[in-house]
Amino acid sequence: MGTRFVILCVDDEENPLVLRKFLLQRAGYDVITARSAQEALEIASKQDVDLVLSDHLMPGITGTELARLLKSQYPKMLVVLLSGVNEIPVGAEVADVFLSKVEGPESLCQQIAAVLAGSARA
Amino acid sequence: MSVHEPVNILMVDDQPGKLLSYEAILNPLRENLLKANSGREALEHLLKSEIAVVLMDVSMPDMDGFQLADMIREHPRFQKTAIIFISAVHLTDVDRLKGYERGAVDYISVPVVPELLRAKVSVFAELYRKNQQLEKLNRELEQRVTERTEELRESESQFRSLANSIPQLAWMANPDGSVFWYNQRWYDYTGTTIDQVQGKGWTRTVHPEHSGRVVAGMQRCWELGVPWEDTFPLRDQQGNYRWFLSRALPIRDAAGNVVRWFGTNTDITERKQAEEALVKSERLAAMGRLAGIIAHEINNPLEAISNAFYLLRDHPSLDEEARYYARLASEEVARISHITKQTLSFYRESRQPIAVSLSEILDNVIELQSRALKLNAISVTKKYTTVGIIQGFPVELKQVFLNIIGNAVQAMGTGGRLRIRLFQSTERRSGREGIRVLIDDTGSGIRREDARRIFEPFFSTKEAKGTGLGLWISKGIIQKYEGSIRFRSMRLGQGHITCFSVFLPAAAAAQVPVAVASSVA
Repeated sequence: MGTRFVILCVDDEENPLVLRKFLLQRAGYDVITARSAQEALEIASKQDVDLVLSDHLMPGITGTELARLLKSQYPKMLVVLLSGVNEIPVGAEVADVFLSKVEGPESLCQQIAAVLAGSARA
Repeated sequence: MSVHEPVNILMVDDQPGKLLSYEAILNPLRENLLKANSGREALEHLLKSEIAVVLMDVSMPDMDGFQLADMIREHPRFQKTAIIFISAVHLTDVDRLKGYERGAVDYISVPVVPELLRAKVSVFAELYRKNQQLEKLNRELEQRVTERTEELRESESQFRSLANSIPQLAWMANPDGSVFWYNQRWYDYTGTTIDQVQGKGWTRTVHPEHSGRVVAGMQRCWELGVPWEDTFPLRDQQGNYRWFLSRALPIRDAAGNVVRWFGTNTDITERKQAEEALVKSERLAAMGRLAGIIAHEINNPLEAISNAFYLLRDHPSLDEEARYYARLASEEVARISHITKQTLSFYRESRQPIAVSLSEILDNVIELQSRALKLNAISVTKKYTTVGIIQGFPVELKQVFLNIIGNAVQAMGTGGRLRIRLFQSTERRSGREGIRVLIDDTGSGIRREDARRIFEPFFSTKEAKGTGLGLWISKGIIQKYEGSIRFRSMRLGQGHITCFSVFLPAAAAAQVPVAVASSVA
């Protein structure tokens, strides 16, 4: 139980982003936010991030594209994609998990915990 | 007719000198002059050749002119033959009458005036020639009529065999639209007789909801002489209706007048059904797309709201009442999430189809339902004669059987029997090999009025409990596998038996694991 996990939350919409941040903070994580994939890449290049939780559908670089870029630069970085769309986008398998937004807050926290735990074991 | 064809003129006199003088007088007429010295000789000529005019002396030794005329007239062939009597004695009116009674035509008295004789013979010869020509024309005309009639009969019979061989119903009508002929297919289909359907009688075979429009439209076309076309149901002999595309064309004579109408009725029931099915499936696809778009638009704020209430409901700054409200809101929002999730099945599956064991999937679904099965006191019997391997995507297949079995379990709230069978099968309709799953329950059954709508989206008999999307989604998934899903529900004693049958062809595997609601751009 050393340092807390750092999660970088990415979403182009402010309200969902802020609420997700509070949710994850309540769950015990350090949370940084970014309003675009571009901003997320900049943050990831400057500080340590354990997991990126990104919306898929964003203007400019999509979440899936962001996941691909992050994984190519930081192979050990965990990426969780979140989407309201009903189809898994092409290329989404580069992310560790692809989640539906309608699963609810508890499920989201569980999944993130599971991904972090899985990586810790590995 | 200007051609001068010489006719035979028979001259009868016992005195050769007179015959010679007649010959001299008549020669310029350029006819064939035949001479007879006696009545007997005259008759021989008559029997041998066609005679146009007989010129005869009334007084001859063995047989006088009148006697000869009598004999000539007795023969039917000579009843109309012109006879000119030449008489040396003064002819009384009595003699004239006697002559006419015998059908004689004219008299010439002696001394013979050559111009007069020539003129009279010429007139009769000409008359004869004209008659001959007329008769010849008549005969030719008759021949042509006979030939034409034969041709017509032949073309009529060709027409009829053609009209009976086409797949359409066909008919012919008078210019006023009264039908006088139908092909055999019409009678075979409608089961009517000509007496029932001739004239306007056919209107009884038109669906009552359409007949007013059809008759009015047809009437307009008859009056305007323009082609007619309409689509309406016609009753068959069992009283069922099928849709026909009906057309009629005016047949005109050389002057452009409509002499008859030729009409056909083409069965388009299957085409119409296919079109309707297409329209319906397009509508469903459009709804699917719309549902997808809406769900996506809803899911984004929904997540934020869910998170907000989640954070709020245990927030230390709120009192018990405020937290209670937040909890209620949280629960209600969860219901919305459930609906959008149902609408928009979210698959986390591989993109390649894999070998899926249907028996495993069925066992899995039964396992998922085990609590409800126990609670509702439902007994389960399974009969698998195959493992049931097909290429596909397990999650969506599981969803299909979860929907069907879930419905069955809910229909047996007060207990019952659930039977699940899995076997290899050949689809009777297509002859394809595949796997069939039969799921039957003894639940509340499916009402006849619901049966038709059961696979439609947003149709639910469970009122508040159901989204009405389960079977619609299931059908979409099965169709993706080129399979079929059907059901039957029947009364059995006090209860019902409802059986769902799913056929999945062995060959066809769905290529892409998409949700039924199609893609969102």
